[in-house]
Amino acid sequence: MPDELLAAARAGESDGFAALVRLHQARVFSIALRMLTDRALAEDLAQEVFLQLHHSIRSLDSHQHLVFWLRQVTTRRAIDRLRREHRSETISLDESLGLVAAESDADPLLRQHLQSLIGKLAPMPRAILLLRYQEDLDPLDIAQTLAVPVNTVKSHLKRSLAALRTQLSGLAPIDESGEA
Amino acid sequence: MNEDLDKQLRQALRPVDPGEDFTARVLAQISAKPRSLRTHWRRAAWIPAALAASVLLVVAGVYEWQQRQKEAGLAARAQVVEALRVTSQKLDLAYRLINTSSRPPSDRDSGA
Repeated sequence: MPDELLAAARAGESDGFAALVRLHQARVFSIALRMLTDRALAEDLAQEVFLQLHHSIRSLDSHQHLVFWLRQVTTRRAIDRLRREHRSETISLDESLGLVAAESDADPLLRQHLQSLIGKLAPMPRAILLLRYQEDLDPLDIAQTLAVPVNTVKSHLKRSLAALRTQLSGLAPIDESGEA
Repeated sequence: MNEDLDKQLRQALRPVDPGEDFTARVLAQISAKPRSLRTHWRRAAWIPAALAASVLLVVAGVYEWQQRQKEAGLAARAQVVEALRVTSQKLDLAYRLINTSSRPPSDRDSGA
């Protein structure tokens, strides 16, 4: 089915492309939102990604390729923007409420706290953490998506998780600011 | 502890939908883009036309200036030729007058 949508979009059918956007908008928007921690900026970035997708759709030969492309372009654009603007603000409580998935059954305060802590990570470890836990990618796939060595991914994951664990237990401020 | 944090992270990072009208906004931007591109190209098409017109104007100006210079040169040459001609006539006349006044009187004039 997704491959048929891709084929329709590649053939220039706007309905096919619209269906692809609907299918992947949550993925793209969520990566952008949690990277940029700003809803308006995240919407802008997600729209830019889909405009670029419309332009590049003929170069994508499978749905798997499309998903890889969307993750790669979204994270790279977000990292570039964060580095350009030196954005490192924490997500406020009000903002973070908008990031919580409605059907989640976890403690809402804990989720908000976690999102706030993720928002404090440097761009690269933040992207790695998102691809690991939002997109459920393994370190090798993350390394390919971000074009970094797999050991860098593993090391960032280890340090980010340690920093989050420490922060959650209230021992010390988060300090995972390493860049690849 | 590790499994707990993994689970908590997965729950905290569940995908969030941007809203129902997101797709419509993306499609609206896509349909607006070719129009703006066409406008851009229409606007851009004036640039070579304006450049060509400017080059033509410069070439015509230079040609006109050269023609005027040429005409002015010809007129000046004609004036010089005319001046030389008049001078030559005057010199010729003066020469003849000098010749006439310095000639010795002829036999008939001497009354012999």
